[in-house]
Amino acid sequence: MDTLVIPAKPDSLSLIRQYVAKVAEAAGLNEMANYQLCLAVDEIATNVITYGYQENGQSGDICLRADLDAEKLTVIMEDTGIPFDPTAQELPTEEDLALPLEQRPIGGLGIFLTIKGVDEFRYEQQGNMNQNIFEMHLVS
Amino acid sequence: MVFSAKLDSDGDTAKITLNGELDSAVAGEFKDVIEKAAEANPQKLVLFLSELSFMASAGLRVIIFAKQKMGANVNIYVIGATGPVLNTLQMSGFDQAVFIQDSYSD
Repeated sequence: MDTLVIPAKPDSLSLIRQYVAKVAEAAGLNEMANYQLCLAVDEIATNVITYGYQENGQSGDICLRADLDAEKLTVIMEDTGIPFDPTAQELPTEEDLALPLEQRPIGGLGIFLTIKGVDEFRYEQQGNMNQNIFEMHLVS
Repeated sequence: MVFSAKLDSDGDTAKITLNGELDSAVAGEFKDVIEKAAEANPQKLVLFLSELSFMASAGLRVIIFAKQKMGANVNIYVIGATGPVLNTLQMSGFDQAVFIQDSYSD
């Protein structure tokens, strides 16, 4: 499968989603699974763009590649922005999700949607590189 | 698909129609429209989502912002959200906080 290397800028999000939708379709994911994977990658890419690079006055690229085997589709996102582990962040609790809107904490929803939406999500640090790994199981 | 947020201020009801894909790159446009709608002090906010094909958490945050900006007493209606977008609203507990409907009549 193709690799996508793209500047870590907000304008890139649409192209990132198009790439993920393409690999998801090639893997035979259904509409909901395709969407959930696109959403998950979009959310993490948004964090990389906002916090990994821009807020630190840095610029850089995001690299996306995909691996397909008999059991799963794996999408791997790599960047060299500041180290950031989404799995170490505090997520909204059940209580938070039941709060009236005007009392809701603003943060955490993106990573929450990522983790809920894909079959497996993990973060690894390889040297100075952040690796965000998304897995979707294939239905046989 | 290109994003747009169109405001129709109808008496004490603010109606906003969203088209395309709502991600963090364009969420600011939606927020601007909410701010404009809030100027008229609406009693109700109605969001038409049937032409919205994608919504990231940035979109959810603008809905939270709308509630905070317009006041807790302003009811928010979300009309015509389709499959995955509706699923996102439900996963995030928004179905407890806004009125989710297939269609809307005044």
